Amino acid sequence: MVETTRFGSISVAEDDILTFPEGMLGFSKIHEYALIERVDDPLFIWLQAVKKASVAFPLLEPQIFETGYQVELTEEDREILTLASLQHAKVFSIITIPSDPTKMTANLKAPIVINLKKRLARQVILHAADYPIRKAIYAGLQQHCAARHQAVFNETEATAYHAVHLADELEATA
Amino acid sequence: MLVLTRKLGETIAIDDDIKIVVVSIKGRQVRLGIDAPRKTKIHREEVYLAIQEQNKAASESSPDSVKSIAKLTSAS
Repeated sequence: MVETTRFGSISVAEDDILTFPEGMLGFSKIHEYALIERVDDPLFIWLQAVKKASVAFPLLEPQIFETGYQVELTEEDREILTLASLQHAKVFSIITIPSDPTKMTANLKAPIVINLKKRLARQVILHAADYPIRKAIYAGLQQHCAARHQAVFNETEATAYHAVHLADELEATA
Repeated sequence: MLVLTRKLGETIAIDDDIKIVVVSIKGRQVRLGIDAPRKTKIHREEVYLAIQEQNKAASESSPDSVKSIAKLTSAS
């Protein structure tokens, strides 16, 4: 069981825990995270610290609002992630949702890359491309959801969250 | 803080494996070349700090803060 301030107690299997060997930038002491999503609305995924209930980062797949997004790993990234290519990897942008959510932004400069097989993750910094740290994404996200007849945020009051199974994600990349 | 004066082309050595060389000086801009082991993390400080700051802001996001907007988007 993982205790969280946002989602209550969530049952997370050992196999679904990600290790960030160096932590996130500014959160270097937190190494273990789980991915949490809403059962009925899996647009946003939350990167929840396993041992620190209050720390969670909203994530989105960058392709949703940035076509042609290019992630190039450095040798160091590959070493730490033990990852030869991005084939069995998952890339997420960290989203900041302020009190006015229409002002939400995505960090395209420093995405999260996950080695699904080894359950290793790192916040990488893209040096080559001039991606912004704060890209306004609300309009783009609305368009994406409108095209899929999906609400950006589901308004139902009863919300259930569960842990994402990494094995399922890995299978989806195969 | 240790402060050293260096001329164009001169180097500072840190430990046995890090070298910083002054590559060019143009007005108020100095270009530095850095030779360091691959494990050493080198960033322009402002990029590093901006990402840290953004991570802090992102970690304070709340699923509750998006409820009001859910009503807005579904109404439109």
